[in-house]
Amino acid sequence: MYRYDEFDSRFVHERAEQFRGQVARRLSGELSEDEFKPLRLMNGLYLQLHSYMLRIAIPYGTLSARQLRKLAFIARAYDRGYGHFTTRQNLQLHWVQLPKVADVLVDLAEVEMHCMQTSGNCVRNVTADHFAGAAKDEIEDPRILSEVVRQWSTLHPEFSFLPRKFKIAVSGSDADRAAIMIHDIGIQIVKNDEGEIGYRVFVGGGLGRTPFIGHEVGHFVGKCDILAFLEAVMRVYNESGRRDNIHKARIKILVHQIGPKEMRHRVEAEFAEIRQMGVLELPEGEIARIAAYFTPPDFEALTDECPEFEAAKRSSRGFADWVKTNVHAHKMPGYAIATVSLKPIGKTPGDCSSDQMDALADLMDEFTQPEIRVTHEQNLVLPHVRRKDLFALWQSLDTLELATPNHGLVTDIISCPGLDYCDLANARSINIAQEIAKRFSDLERQHDLGELKIKISGCINACGHHHVGHIGILGVDKKGVENYQILLGGSGAEDASLGEILGPGFDKEGIVDAVENVIATYTDLRQDGERFLDTVRRVGAIPFKERLYAH
Amino acid sequence: MPQVLTANRLQVGEVVYWNSAQGWVDSFAEAEVLPDDKAEDVLKDAAEWVTKREVVAPYLFEVRVKDGVAVPVKIRERIRAAGPTIRTDLGKQAG
Repeated sequence: MYRYDEFDSRFVHERAEQFRGQVARRLSGELSEDEFKPLRLMNGLYLQLHSYMLRIAIPYGTLSARQLRKLAFIARAYDRGYGHFTTRQNLQLHWVQLPKVADVLVDLAEVEMHCMQTSGNCVRNVTADHFAGAAKDEIEDPRILSEVVRQWSTLHPEFSFLPRKFKIAVSGSDADRAAIMIHDIGIQIVKNDEGEIGYRVFVGGGLGRTPFIGHEVGHFVGKCDILAFLEAVMRVYNESGRRDNIHKARIKILVHQIGPKEMRHRVEAEFAEIRQMGVLELPEGEIARIAAYFTPPDFEALTDECPEFEAAKRSSRGFADWVKTNVHAHKMPGYAIATVSLKPIGKTPGDCSSDQMDALADLMDEFTQPEIRVTHEQNLVLPHVRRKDLFALWQSLDTLELATPNHGLVTDIISCPGLDYCDLANARSINIAQEIAKRFSDLERQHDLGELKIKISGCINACGHHHVGHIGILGVDKKGVENYQILLGGSGAEDASLGEILGPGFDKEGIVDAVENVIATYTDLRQDGERFLDTVRRVGAIPFKERLYAH
Repeated sequence: MPQVLTANRLQVGEVVYWNSAQGWVDSFAEAEVLPDDKAEDVLKDAAEWVTKREVVAPYLFEVRVKDGVAVPVKIRERIRAAGPTIRTDLGKQAG
């Protein structure tokens, strides 16, 4: 993985001390809250419902065991012994105290981490496919470009005061595990007919109050030109994005207002100009230098034949169930990718205790895993597990309550923190996720329902990605009472689509029944092999509405 | 409708409530219930505590008083006064 050079290291340490000084000036009264707020936000520190919340950046969701142990330590020493992994592949601590935040930043700097670009109107932490470097269908490791983009965008003077926040995601495969179509810029790594690798660039996706799927603005951008192209997009946005209305300031609104064709035209014009100057041409040597940090581990020469793995599946039903959903194809024979579920039935999606983090770091050492990944679906991933080690790994994960066999199933629910923690929320979301998971806890039933992605947000800002849930749930405040709307037919994958609101919402006592009702319509109408989403797309929303609002 | 003044302690971030006899208190049960016509004045006076760097982000919220006991009208304030409903071991409710 990427290692800081001397400049990076000095910079994050200096930044921590800079913030220590800013906190001291705030506490001495030299800085007012109005003056201090933008400074704390630049370091990921929010004031939330109960306390201060610190958002720690995890670039492209990749952590070493050393970093994970440090996060465990920080959560234990400065917070309440747990953290919450988010849909932006970050980690949030919900109970930090202001005078201690600089110490946290120093601890993070020691393991090459920080909290920059997790807030404010800048280019936020770049996210990527969590199967990077391991997926069988991968064209190129998306973290190479993600790191290039991170270095280019961090503290870029032109992007310090954007009209609004700006999120970039990179996928290295045809399968989209990074939700690139709902980002301000989504980049898909592609290969052309000549076998050259380049980038397909989408602009203007996003959720929140006004959701949109991104539009293609670059069909095949050459490797050396990608920064010039991205800078062209940013310049068009910086120049024409609205700054008079926070709700209309994201690039998606600009793309919607001028149209994708005009956006493409403006980006191409800007791109031509930047390219002519030549300064943003990415040297091959520099790409190679960064790519070297993402060199895959030394894989052993193995075959997919693994008698001990097959025998373990036969002897342990629990292991076989876990393999069915949480183990994925790896590009190397004899290896597999393992999803570590952070969705135990009835618990908070995305939460991980310090003890679990420490234990996972130990497992990374034991099973020679150089990295662990955070997914935008709020799970963790061990990317390079020998198939013959899977059973022992599963046994250890099981004792840690990290082996729930539900990846991609109805209980693998994305949920924002909602009104239990968030200052912006209108309704709770974690409790709804817990109740749905309990209702559908029977594993046989979950397998019968197959892939079914439920995503819950406690307000219109959509941190829980409800617009792109196969079933989305949006919590609203209806005259002081929590109320939940159901959206149907969304997808955040390569077949991206926005869900449609089915009708009037349900109270918290009724929402789980309503979800069950929707799922019952699917089981009645599905044809052989159809996923939930396939059935919804084939029959449309009407049969679901008719049954849901029959009484 | 009667109201309660709340804020967060600047240093530790903890949720606090105003009581003119005791100052800023940690427990909602000890909060002073302010008549609607006086609440805005009390909020204005809170600026002094912000200047003194005791608290940050003060605001008023509505409560209903029944049998002498005040209850926040909005669930947001009920959760803020107690802690996360899904983790009763955290927040003020944990004691």
